[in-house]
Amino acid sequence: MELYLYIALFAPLVSSLFSALFTATPKKMFTGVVASGLIISALVSSIVLLVHILNGGGVVHVELMTWMETGDLYIPFGFVVDEVSVTMMMVVTLVSSVVHVYSVGYMDHDKGFNRFFSYLSAFVFSMMVLVMSDNFAGLFIGWEGVGLCSWLLIGFWYHKESATWAANEAFIMNRIADLGMLIGLFLIYWHTGTLQYTEAFAAMPSLNTEIVTWIGIFLFIGAMGKSAQFPLHTWLADAMEGPTPVSALIHAATMVTAGVYLVVRSSPLFDLIPHVGLFIASLGAFVALFAASMALVNRDMKRIIAYSTLSQLGYMFVAAGLGAYWVALFHLMAHAFFKALLFLGAGNVMHAMHDELDPFKMGGLKKPMKWTFIMMTLASVALAGIYPFAGFFSKDLILEVAFVEHHFILYTVLLFTAGLTAFYSFRLVALIFHGEERYKLFGVHPHEAYKFMLIGMSPLLLLAIIAGSFKMTYFEMVTALLPATEYHIHSHLTFWIMTIGTQLFVGLSILYAYKKYANSSITVPNGTSKMENSFVYKMLFNQYYIPYLYQEYFVKPYRELSTVFWEQVDMKIVDASVDGIAGIVYGTGEKTRAMQSGNLSTMLKWMVAGTVGLLSLAVVFGLAARYSGEIKTILSGLGV
Amino acid sequence: MEIGLNHYLALSAILFSIGLVGVMRRKNLLLLFLATEILLNSVNIAFAAISHYYGDLTGQMFAFFVIAIAASEVAVGLGLLIVWHKRHGNIDLDTMSTMRG
Amino acid sequence: MLDNILSILIFFPALAAVLGFAIQRDSIRSYGVAVATIEFALSLLLWFMFDANASGMQFMETLPLVPVFGINYILGVDGISVFIIILSTFFTLIGIASLGEIKKVKYMIITLLFLQMTMTGVFAALDAIVFYVFWELSLVPMLYIIGAWGGPLRIYASIKFFLYTFTGSLVMLVGMLFMAYFYYQASGIWTFAILDWYRLVLPENLQLWLFAAFFVGFAIKVPMFPFHTWLPYAHGQAPTIGSVMLAAILLKMGTYAFVRFSLPLFPDASVFYMMPIAVLAIIMIIYTGMVAYAQKDIKQVVAYSSVSHMGVIILGTFALNVEGISGSIFLMLGHGVVAGALFFLVGVIYDRRHTKMMSEFGGLATVMPRYATVFGIMMMASVGLPLTINFVGEFLSFLGFYKQSHILTLLAGTGIIVGAIYMLAAYKKAFFGEVTNEANKNLPDLNKKELFALIPLVIISIWLGVYPKPVLEPINNSVEAIVQLMHDKAITPEAKSRIPNLINDKNSQEGAH
Repeated sequence: MELYLYIALFAPLVSSLFSALFTATPKKMFTGVVASGLIISALVSSIVLLVHILNGGGVVHVELMTWMETGDLYIPFGFVVDEVSVTMMMVVTLVSSVVHVYSVGYMDHDKGFNRFFSYLSAFVFSMMVLVMSDNFAGLFIGWEGVGLCSWLLIGFWYHKESATWAANEAFIMNRIADLGMLIGLFLIYWHTGTLQYTEAFAAMPSLNTEIVTWIGIFLFIGAMGKSAQFPLHTWLADAMEGPTPVSALIHAATMVTAGVYLVVRSSPLFDLIPHVGLFIASLGAFVALFAASMALVNRDMKRIIAYSTLSQLGYMFVAAGLGAYWVALFHLMAHAFFKALLFLGAGNVMHAMHDELDPFKMGGLKKPMKWTFIMMTLASVALAGIYPFAGFFSKDLILEVAFVEHHFILYTVLLFTAGLTAFYSFRLVALIFHGEERYKLFGVHPHEAYKFMLIGMSPLLLLAIIAGSFKMTYFEMVTALLPATEYHIHSHLTFWIMTIGTQLFVGLSILYAYKKYANSSITVPNGTSKMENSFVYKMLFNQYYIPYLYQEYFVKPYRELSTVFWEQVDMKIVDASVDGIAGIVYGTGEKTRAMQSGNLSTMLKWMVAGTVGLLSLAVVFGLAARYSGEIKTILSGLGV
Repeated sequence: MEIGLNHYLALSAILFSIGLVGVMRRKNLLLLFLATEILLNSVNIAFAAISHYYGDLTGQMFAFFVIAIAASEVAVGLGLLIVWHKRHGNIDLDTMSTMRG
Repeated sequence: MLDNILSILIFFPALAAVLGFAIQRDSIRSYGVAVATIEFALSLLLWFMFDANASGMQFMETLPLVPVFGINYILGVDGISVFIIILSTFFTLIGIASLGEIKKVKYMIITLLFLQMTMTGVFAALDAIVFYVFWELSLVPMLYIIGAWGGPLRIYASIKFFLYTFTGSLVMLVGMLFMAYFYYQASGIWTFAILDWYRLVLPENLQLWLFAAFFVGFAIKVPMFPFHTWLPYAHGQAPTIGSVMLAAILLKMGTYAFVRFSLPLFPDASVFYMMPIAVLAIIMIIYTGMVAYAQKDIKQVVAYSSVSHMGVIILGTFALNVEGISGSIFLMLGHGVVAGALFFLVGVIYDRRHTKMMSEFGGLATVMPRYATVFGIMMMASVGLPLTINFVGEFLSFLGFYKQSHILTLLAGTGIIVGAIYMLAAYKKAFFGEVTNEANKNLPDLNKKELFALIPLVIISIWLGVYPKPVLEPINNSVEAIVQLMHDKAITPEAKSRIPNLINDKNSQEGAH
């Protein structure tokens, strides 16, 4: 089994290095093919490992070599395939395989074709390190590695100012969170003496609750950055500047869920501190609602999906925070499938529309893009949580968890958000695919994507439809490692009322969205309608003015303060005082150089004066030393 | 009245003062040399007197040292003086200020 | 011969430099490369023969110089110094090999060889006076490099560099003399041998004074806030090779001296001054990081980033535990490689455009993709991405200091954010966007000579990031010895508790198992 582990881990690395060889050369189709092939081999290995685990083959654990060893610290490159990591491996390799195949078509005309595959595979490698590591330090390697790849890929079109800005924003915001994570690691090390998961978690119950709480808080700060939770969420929407396959892979399916993975992986820790868990859940519910509300009015197709991702991450954190780790992981998995599908569909639409992102300028695309239409609709249905699609099983489960745990406020928020989710998802579908063919105004001739791209997407479609049926198999597998709490509502009546009620609510939201946006009266908004000028619309459209606030109250002051530090403090105070001291010495010499008239006579006079001065000093000191006793008596007599 | 150590020291001090005033006031290089000689010889007197007073020959030895050094110094100095006079036609101290800082 | 390998390492380049005066101008480059290669090979031999498991000094040499006052020519290396010596020979080699078209190249090579002598001397010396001599001698070639090959303000910069560091060194010299005097008073023997000094336990108030005297000399060299202002001028005016040597090796003298002198000689004073120094280090990290962000000149960004990273090294050193000190020494190597490479890279663009203003660039990634790639890798190493060389050092330094103070580490940790901000901003300004400046449209990419210098640095920074063990292990062994020495020597209860006792730890652990 070790062999498969190594293939799953290193095939992406090989793929990345191989593609990197050709970055300087023009597009080579075979880099895409080879990269996809290697990623698929990683997928196959992951499947083998999954089967191995499902058959009760036990955890696969390898230790490659030592990484850092000093003092009492010992960090190896250790990798583990257990029930949790194999789930993540499946998600990562599956989605990335699809995305690789898809990108061969999507990046077809791009100059940086080879470079793209190099970055994309590097990302997969980092993500594999992140999920497979058996210690926190290895997790951190992957954690930063995916951050780097995210930076590279968001800024892939580096000639665009907005893209590079977004890339830097994402990296820096993630760094803020990474500091929290780093501090968490330090706390773990100094209190448990190790960074290995098993040993550290084993030592935690005996620690002081306060310390465990702090560990939990700092680790969660790390998770907040990567999973773009409030208030570190702004980078995710801006990250949509990257190529769409990147958004599908990194900013929907895998990287942003790393935070959830961290919380799930640290379940023994978070079990000890339910109060922190409750905070996580509350923040998750808040983010779910908050992000969904921003998605309601946005006019950028990719940003709408990004906010939807954010909202769904909120759901996952609710589940994880309430201790339903397996539910969180299940939703993570189901979400990865349908959200990646949604993004890839959006990529097809973008290609067809020549990178137009405003759904109001589309409409009626269902005719030219039949398959994309079907895929995106089904993905949206899955996202909305309609029976029997994947979202129903995973998302409704989170609602049930909130209900069973008696957190009714969370439950209400999540239920309401589910309605919003359905609304904005179908608003998007309706605007893009139904109604008048508004794109004709802009002289665009949309066309369906390549067939192999559509075929490549089909596994995701399939999983978005049927993933729910794996629930029990999955439950049995993953609860070998995670707490096996089943969430059943005791009264059958309540259960049915809730389920049907939720379905009805969601269904009505979808109908309302269709009614409002799928008709022929929709035009491209020009900022004059009553709704567009309402306060709520403006606030939502400007993302609650949070990016603006950050710009005004963090970015600008930081830049100004930096300039002040440089120009005022460093140059005018620190350096000036050094130069001032040097200036005093130099000035003294300048002033006294007149003494050196060069006239022997004058110099001799100075010499005599100096000798006399020194001699008299010697005499004074000599006398003082000789009569020190008397001087002291006199001085004490004077009362000094 | 017997001539004692103090008289010698007084003489030495007087000679030293004369020499010092000469060193400070003279503008002629040659006379400056003379003043320096007076300074040195005043010290020689003190050396010899104190040496005699303590019955220790080290002082007189030092006096000889000083005389020898003074002689060599004058030899070098006078040589420089002659060169200077040949070049500039005078030996006035105020004209020698090339060492101005 | 191998018994005297350290002496050979020191004096071979000096001898070669003297002979270099007789070499024809046409063949001086190959001569310089040959000498530097031999020197580098010798240093590798040193590493090869170095016993990684021993914690003490190796390859010791002793030769009396002024036996009356106990001044002897004593050399020796341990895990702490051996790698810095190798780093210095390595940088001299690639520095000479990649030397661009400059005037009077012969004298530059001779100067670099002299510089090599002084650098090896500083890191190999085990006698305070010999150390001091090499320490001061190292100023001369650097003064010459900045003053003769520098930019328009070179005279000001070189004099500032020289006088500033020299002033600090004089205070340090006074400290050394006092130290020897106290040793004499305690034992009746004059000695300047550092290993003898290690055995002397001083009362705390004396320690405080002597520590302060040494501190002035070291802190200016590092340079620590607020003594850092000579560095931007020196870097700003120095030619590329000067900046590379300065950042890669010369700055490390200060931090190395902290580990070699301040910690083991004055353990109580180290604990006493730990917090104030940590605060200074944090100011260095954050404040100079912000100043770096405000710069318009890309070389100044790298220069200020050097100061910022040196803050992390200081912090790790004053963690006073094995993790922190090992990390700080590893970071010395890491920062040497990374900052050296970054200065090389800045030199590359300066050679082509004769300006260092970022506003003049933009879109270089399109024109010079290889250059942008190497710069990107080095930038990420500088930012401290895991699996690059700097991460190991930074992680361990912070980890070590976390034991001493949570809140200060949290503050210092913001350095990873600040560092990302100024580096990414600079990279964006220079490399991303459209090519707007006509002069940038047809710049040639990295040539062979430049790649020769940069590729090894890239390899090292990734190799030691992935597999730091061959270097970290000898460092760790020597550091453990120093920490144990400090613990044993410490007299105040606070110092005893702050500095871990490794022997007892190990025993108690073994007892527990």
